[in-house]
Amino acid sequence: MNKQLDLLQGTLDMLVLKAVSLGPLHGYGVLLRIQQISKGSLEIQQGSLYPALYRLERDGWIASEWGESENNRKAKYYRLTAAGKRRLEAEAEKWNRMADVIAGILRTGAEGS
Amino acid sequence: MRIWRRLRAGWGAIFGRVRVESELDAELRFHVEAHAEDLMHAGLSREEALREARVKLGGMERTKEECRDALGVSFIESVIQDVRFGLRMLRKNPGFTATAVAIVTMGIGANVAVFSVVNTVILKPLKAPNADRIVQVEPTYQGVPGTGAGLPEFNLWRQQTNIFQDTSAYRLDRMNLIGGSSPELIPVARVTLDFFRLFGAPVLKGRTFTADEDRPHGGNVAVLSYGFWARRFENDSQVLGKAIVLGSESYIVIGILGPNLDTEQFDRIPDVWLPFQIEPNTDDHGSYCYVAARLRTGVTLGKAIAQLQAVVQEYRRRFPAFSSKEGFTVQPLREAMGNNSRRLIMLFVGAVIFVLLIACANVANLLLARGSRRMHEIAIRAAVGAGRGRVVRQLLTESTLLSLVGGTLGLLLGMVGIRALLALYPGNLPLTSPVNPLYIPRIGESGSAVTLDWRILGFAVLASLATAVLFGILPAFQASRADLNLLLKENSASSGFHRPRTRSMLVVSEVALALVMLIASALLIRTYIALRSVNPGFNSHNVLTMQMSLTGTRFEKTSEMEQLVRDGVRRVQALPGVTDVAAACCLPLETVWQLPLIVVGRPLDGPYHRFGGWTFISPDYFDVFNIALTRGRAFTERDDANAQAVVIINEAMAKALWPRSDPLGERLIIGRGMRAEYDKDSARQIVGIVGDVRDTVLDRPPRPAMYVPIAQLPDGINVINLRLLPITWIVRTRVAPYSVSLAIRSSLEQASGGLPASGIRSMDEVESQATARTRFEMLLMTVFGCSALLLAAIGIYGLMEYSVQQRKHEMGIRLALGADSRDVRNMVVFQGMRLTFVGTVLGIGTAFGLTRLIAGFLFGVRAWDPGVFIAAPVLLGAVALLAVWLPARRAATMNPMVALRHE
Repeated sequence: MNKQLDLLQGTLDMLVLKAVSLGPLHGYGVLLRIQQISKGSLEIQQGSLYPALYRLERDGWIASEWGESENNRKAKYYRLTAAGKRRLEAEAEKWNRMADVIAGILRTGAEGS
Repeated sequence: MRIWRRLRAGWGAIFGRVRVESELDAELRFHVEAHAEDLMHAGLSREEALREARVKLGGMERTKEECRDALGVSFIESVIQDVRFGLRMLRKNPGFTATAVAIVTMGIGANVAVFSVVNTVILKPLKAPNADRIVQVEPTYQGVPGTGAGLPEFNLWRQQTNIFQDTSAYRLDRMNLIGGSSPELIPVARVTLDFFRLFGAPVLKGRTFTADEDRPHGGNVAVLSYGFWARRFENDSQVLGKAIVLGSESYIVIGILGPNLDTEQFDRIPDVWLPFQIEPNTDDHGSYCYVAARLRTGVTLGKAIAQLQAVVQEYRRRFPAFSSKEGFTVQPLREAMGNNSRRLIMLFVGAVIFVLLIACANVANLLLARGSRRMHEIAIRAAVGAGRGRVVRQLLTESTLLSLVGGTLGLLLGMVGIRALLALYPGNLPLTSPVNPLYIPRIGESGSAVTLDWRILGFAVLASLATAVLFGILPAFQASRADLNLLLKENSASSGFHRPRTRSMLVVSEVALALVMLIASALLIRTYIALRSVNPGFNSHNVLTMQMSLTGTRFEKTSEMEQLVRDGVRRVQALPGVTDVAAACCLPLETVWQLPLIVVGRPLDGPYHRFGGWTFISPDYFDVFNIALTRGRAFTERDDANAQAVVIINEAMAKALWPRSDPLGERLIIGRGMRAEYDKDSARQIVGIVGDVRDTVLDRPPRPAMYVPIAQLPDGINVINLRLLPITWIVRTRVAPYSVSLAIRSSLEQASGGLPASGIRSMDEVESQATARTRFEMLLMTVFGCSALLLAAIGIYGLMEYSVQQRKHEMGIRLALGADSRDVRNMVVFQGMRLTFVGTVLGIGTAFGLTRLIAGFLFGVRAWDPGVFIAAPVLLGAVALLAVWLPARRAATMNPMVALRHE
């Protein structure tokens, strides 16, 4: 089992958006999907999930709707909005650029080696 | 765009709060169940699965809280929550809440009352167009403005059109209104024609005076004020053109003023307005009027004063008697009117600030005590997830609630206080003397002019909030810095957290402030006592006075006047219960004419030797007042117009002018240079010297004075006096004065052929009016002093009580280990008194510095009087001891077992 990585708040938002971009999900589903697409390396603190969802909804990146779950129970589903899609792309790009920069720094060997 | 969304979300959330709550709840429950299901598939039992799921989710409440935060519902929601919680906490501790609210109410109520009055007297502008450009022009003597100006000065000032516009002269007289069931003495204002324009008087009907009417012999016209028209003519619209009879002349009504004229310049609201009819080239120099004008645009106050200096030169050229010590100056009218009260107002304000400070210290103390008692509860709240800021906000909400409630009640108390203040305020006491010796402006009849305007309301709200922040913030911050772990482990009663030092400091400062107030009150009380026990130089008991206006032509000749006086005296003397009767132009303790005098045979370098008080009297005047005759003789019936002109002087004048010789037989020339009529008065021989009588105010040594017999007045002077002042009848009775007043009144009416005698006052009342202001100051300071004392006592009691509570544990142990209960009690007393001692020392030091500020109010007692400075701390100490005794006794009589068990 890969070591659990600690997650920053900004990245949680990004991951939630990504998870939801693949199709509407309820909160628990978002949790599962992130676990799934990270191949088990990431387990989200459940306590921070819902506040994040509410925050993202308040900011307009996702929208919610009550629907029926697999077991015919009422659940709140979240889907990505158009603005959210653009935001996700922007954040992803920023993240990748940052990763490149840091990787570059780390790759630089000691002088003369 | 996002903000909009947020607002809408928040707004919608407030209204759909219930819906949001249930949705949130449903969502989280779904999560738990879904998770639990997966866990059950993995093999856990239902209970285990549910438990695991809940644990994994974390604190439901906390999550919900954060979701709510994210939604933006939180702020208003949480404020409402805070308010509800705060109310509940306050309700649970009624003792604390009541005390704190009471203190805040007192503090803010006092403030509202005092500042409303201050606002009206000093800050509120005159209700006139361009009121800040309206100034009073006045003569000065040695740089000090005098009260009132003369007619020649007015004429000259009026010509200075480069400085002033709408220069107006005005004065208030009393005249008999004839007609109707009985004559009535009414206030009548004489004004020049520009007066109405200067003060923006609204004219309801008709018109005001023309230039022709405002000239001597310009005709008898009158303008009525609104109140008088409503009262006497019942708003009869046909009143224009009708005549009214004042004195013995009839005046045609030409106009009626509207209701909203600000008449604060006058001691009473004038009923009728007559043209002043000043002669343009007069050389009459008595002070006969007040002069106000508007500064021309572009002329500042400084420029006006400077330009007036050139006018002084011109005046001196025309009237060489105008000495170099005299001059002219200009003041904003508002200031001139408010000046005498300014001192009083400053005293008010100082006292109120002190009391407020003490009150704040007290409430801060109370809140600190509460804060430490609630540490436990606060710790739990913090553990459950309230952030530090939230805790501070919640505590601040409580203190704000306290302040707002206290502030509202304080506002109501303030309104009551305003009425009480005005009822006692010396300027509003009924004054029947036509010249107000105290010159204190009226402040609205029964509080009507002191309204709760928005400035006062705003001030009250601000004061409330300020006090909330001031004394709420300290405990709130202390509370939020608590070490939660420590608190949760300790029991709530143990001392760990409370800060005795801050609270002790607060108590010490309360004690110091209270002591300063006490000392100030004591000084003022002693001043009042000293004033009351000043020998006024005459006996005021069992003496009745009344006034009669003699305007008109019937008594213009001195012989007619003298006849009236003789008749009146004879008739009244015949009444049972009457001992002595006299008549005079004025009473002791009230304004007296000042005239220049020349001692015959003494070298003169200037127009006169000095000024002296001047009164004309009937022969029995000194008997009526029991004024001692020290040398020579009093006047008799033989001192009439055909006999040698005589004068009697008082001791002060004798000492001033003849320090080493006998004045009897010397001669004085009185009033030369004032106006032509006085020049006709022949030199008078001094035939007697009487004891000094205090004049106008009790706290000044008596000024030199002269008395002349009525019978010997030149006709010209008699006429002038009639027009200015009513004559005053004075009667000494054997029985209570008022019991014969009706009989006296009707005798005088018969003697005068129908003229009313009014303004009936006993001499005791007159004297009491002269001390009215000091009495008021004393009353005020006593009230404040007592409040301060009370508050300080509460503060000491509260601290000691709390300290005993906190240390119950420790005291229980002491008692259990065998300490004498008396020792425990003494320990508490000692600690309390130690604080009091420190506060007292501080207070004495501060008082030494501050009492210099009220030295101007004192009489007969020094600002650092040792008696007061010893008595006040002793009193405070005694009260403090009492305040400390109760908790001390409680500590001593405590059952050690109960104390030890106390958590």
